Amino acid sequence: MHALRKHIHPGWLIIAPLLVLVVALYLGPILNILWLSVTDPEPGFGNYAKLGESDALLRILWTTVRICIITTMFSVTLGYSIAYAMVHCHQRQKNYMLTLLLVSFWISILVRTFSWLMLLGRKGLVNVTLEDIGLIAEPIAFMRNEFGVLIGMIHYMIPYAVLPLLVSMQALDKRVMDASSNLGATGAQTFWRIYLPLTTPGLVASTLLVFILSLGFYVTPAVLGGGKVLMVAEYISVQLLVTLKWGTAAMLAALMLFGVLAMLWIMSRFMKLSTVFGGAAR
Amino acid sequence: MQDKQFMKEMLTDGAHAYKEGRMDRRTFLALCGASGVALSAVMAGDAEAAADHVVMWNWGGQSEECHGSAIGDAFTASTGKGLKFDTSGPLEGKIKEMVDSGNVTADVADADLFNAVSLGPTGHLEPIDYSVVSKDKTLPGYALEYGVSVILYGYAFVYDTEAYGDNPPQNWADFFDTAKFPGMRSLYKWANGSLEAALMADGVAGDALYPLDMDRALAKIKSIKEDSLYWGSGSEAHSMCVNGEVTMGMIWQNRGRNIENDTDGRFKLVNNQAMAMPGAYIVPKGNPAGAAVMQFIATAQEVPAQLALLDCLGMTPSNPAAFGEIPEDQQDYAITSAKNIDKIVYNDPEWWGENGGDAVNAFLEAIS
Amino acid sequence: MADLANTGSLQIRDVSKMFGTFRAVDGVTLDIERGEFLTLLGPSGSGKTTLLMMIAGFLDITQGDIALDGASIADVPAEKRNFGMVFQGYALFPHMSVRDNIGYALSVRKRSASEIKARVDEMLDLVQLQEFADRKPTQLSGGQQQRVALARALCFAPPVLLLDEPLGALDKKLRVEVQEQLKDIHRRVGTTFIYVTHDQEEALSMSDRIVIMRDGAIEQVGTPVELYERPATKFAASFLGKSNFITQGDKTYALRPEKIDLRLGQGGSDARVSGTIRSITYFGSMQRIIVDSVQGDEIEVDIDVWRNQEALTEGAKVDLLWQEAAAVELHDT
Ligand SMILES: Nc1ncnc2c1ncn2[C@@H]1O[C@H](COP(=O)(O)OP(=O)(O)OP(=O)(O)O)[C@@H](O)[C@H]1O
Ligand SMILES: [Mg+2]
Repeated sequence: MHALRKHIHPGWLIIAPLLVLVVALYLGPILNILWLSVTDPEPGFGNYAKLGESDALLRILWTTVRICIITTMFSVTLGYSIAYAMVHCHQRQKNYMLTLLLVSFWISILVRTFSWLMLLGRKGLVNVTLEDIGLIAEPIAFMRNEFGVLIGMIHYMIPYAVLPLLVSMQALDKRVMDASSNLGATGAQTFWRIYLPLTTPGLVASTLLVFILSLGFYVTPAVLGGGKVLMVAEYISVQLLVTLKWGTAAMLAALMLFGVLAMLWIMSRFMKLSTVFGGAAR
Repeated sequence: MQDKQFMKEMLTDGAHAYKEGRMDRRTFLALCGASGVALSAVMAGDAEAAADHVVMWNWGGQSEECHGSAIGDAFTASTGKGLKFDTSGPLEGKIKEMVDSGNVTADVADADLFNAVSLGPTGHLEPIDYSVVSKDKTLPGYALEYGVSVILYGYAFVYDTEAYGDNPPQNWADFFDTAKFPGMRSLYKWANGSLEAALMADGVAGDALYPLDMDRALAKIKSIKEDSLYWGSGSEAHSMCVNGEVTMGMIWQNRGRNIENDTDGRFKLVNNQAMAMPGAYIVPKGNPAGAAVMQFIATAQEVPAQLALLDCLGMTPSNPAAFGEIPEDQQDYAITSAKNIDKIVYNDPEWWGENGGDAVNAFLEAIS
Repeated sequence: MADLANTGSLQIRDVSKMFGTFRAVDGVTLDIERGEFLTLLGPSGSGKTTLLMMIAGFLDITQGDIALDGASIADVPAEKRNFGMVFQGYALFPHMSVRDNIGYALSVRKRSASEIKARVDEMLDLVQLQEFADRKPTQLSGGQQQRVALARALCFAPPVLLLDEPLGALDKKLRVEVQEQLKDIHRRVGTTFIYVTHDQEEALSMSDRIVIMRDGAIEQVGTPVELYERPATKFAASFLGKSNFITQGDKTYALRPEKIDLRLGQGGSDARVSGTIRSITYFGSMQRIIVDSVQGDEIEVDIDVWRNQEALTEGAKVDLLWQEAAAVELHDT
């Protein structure tokens, strides 16, 4: 007992009840999913075996991963420049931009998705205008395909990408950049050798956030993809609600979970994850 | 305890008053706020009281109003029981979940007849009491052990008159013929109707569709994949036509009239080879109102209710006694009207109940 | 470092800096000689950092001109000025090792790896951090970080080194130690040092010349001895060391407490002022005695502890004496 007490900080005892609750609330459903994935419709790894049998499932997974990667790349790159502009512009402009950013969080995903149809659909503002001024003869197919899904998702994800970047850029000591140019570095050298490395934790946090959120995307691909862009989240929902193949759904959910965990693990090999999640950079 | 009861009654009354329009939204929300109750808790919570009303589980929107006026009023008049709604949409998975969880809050679900085939034998549904509900007041084959068809909806298509002018498409074969009828099409994303249309287009007779030849159907679907969009909800199907994204669109036939109106007649409904889908009432196992719900279903079968649903929702009667009473201005749109009844084909709920899950997945995999 | 022999003199001509309508630096004119150790001294907010930042090129000059060896550098961007700088708080690159920090200036100039290594080693020797070369800045003590910052700034042999309160974060004892090292390095590299501090002892002990700043303007410039012995204004006299102010007629004189002698008993013919001891405070190396003069002034006297130990008590009557030259006439009104 004494030895035990030495190893367990008394603080843990205080939060223990809460910890138990959190574990029960989070771990419970996750275990339930894992359990379901090996028991429904019959015990065994039949659901997982489907991955080998059906190239359709693999195609859905590949579509999902591909779209998520592209979405993440663009959202984070654009988010980086937006965050950079926000940090380095005047206070008043910064307040405007922050307000716009926050407002976009409050607009429902449906509204934001359908707005793209109005703007870029076959009879949308852009196509009609281009046709009117004679630049194009046939409307350009921006929407109802993978390209449309990407536009919608990137647009939706940019604010999420901006926030962690904004935090990490704001925390930077401006004098470090001054020091770099004082030592003779050009603007580009300062950016690549100092600014970028110092904002890497924010970049990684932003990438993780956007990628993981993208994995769960459902509405945007369903609407803007014209039914042809099937991502895992929608497929899972169909298996749960329409076809009642809960085992398949659980298997795919478990797969996504492991995928994300694996990603975090690989990342932890390269950097201290605590710096990504707000710990001090070392 | 006393206080809570009072508060709940006040809120429940408030909820009804709000629904009926006697109380504005802000007052009602303030009332909820004052007692620290979430709106949904009131709306859902009072469903549990049971006995003095039945709870209908449907898709909300217009159907809430329409079910109230077309069936609810008559039901209340004859039984003294009220009608309440859960508008979260009774998808098969949700019904299963509700029954499995043991917390059944709905009495009757506005679902598809094939749901009765898949959920009935697994113990998720109450059998229909045919001493109260009539087998004769629906089409033959559409009165099943665990569900009865109360209305029909259908898969038909609309086309853009400006695109095809003098030589309009007339059947599914034309719909699938992109050489003769160039332009984008839209089809239903959850396979239903789309598969049958593809087979008919490929030359299968309307009365020889089942069991569906999946390979043949999917091959046909894939043959126009480049020219197809797929919709998942009625409003999406609607907007694809109205926004000019497609020149031909498979739709739920009851939307046909709206699309014609919203495009000032540019789009036109074709009911030839429309597939009649039996919309059915099914009862979750252990429903709170018990047997009283059968009376409700029986009310919905009556001719006045059938015609009121047609008028309000565009849903076609399934009670043959109502077919002859379909008013003149609905003749073009109701698939069981004298004008259309000889041109339509019938969905087989048994096949879909047994094979629907695999069919949907195969379809999704084919189009994605 | 040989090329430093004929570069490094700065000419600051009537330079002002406005932040909006606020004048942070106000008409500063100053000639700084090559190899000089010049200290900017002044209270917080007096414009020291602002002036330094204009010299470094991080802030535009609102008015006036700055020239290096006679050629204006007002339009030369910071990264082209080749001035070394040690920032307030050091501003080391936290993600780089000590070696990479120090070699940064050469590496952005695309010098060869061997040249960089040789030069960095030389710098590490200079600041005596050889064994810390591979550590990250956060793994160093404050004094070590300070030395890295210094080595980094000196590595590319700048003609001018700007230092903004480089020792501000160090404790007293360490500060004295590093002060010595700094002086030593200054002597060895021969670079012009412009040094900002608000620590007067530091300014006195290290500088060739001191510039006392007040509200953005220069109050007085001079060697430490000049400033201490002959302050021109009340502000200069009281900011650098302590001072009594004595008014005679329409003239005000500054009189350092340690230049006053004190004798028990009143009315001596050589006494300049007589008074009563109000308080005695013991400071180890000396004691500070406050005397209320018969004219009603309060005069501070610092005297050695070993003198008159037991006879000096509060309330004792005393005469105060000083030499004529000890009282410095002030020129502000
Ligand atoms: N960017 C700025 N905008 C507005 N005012 C500024 C700015 N930078 C400095 N100031 C003001 O200019 C004055 C001089 O500031 P400066 O930083 O030069 O003082 P300092 O002498 O270095 O003080 P310290 O000893 O505290 O470092 C201060 O009153 C300060 O508030
Ligand atoms: Mg300063």
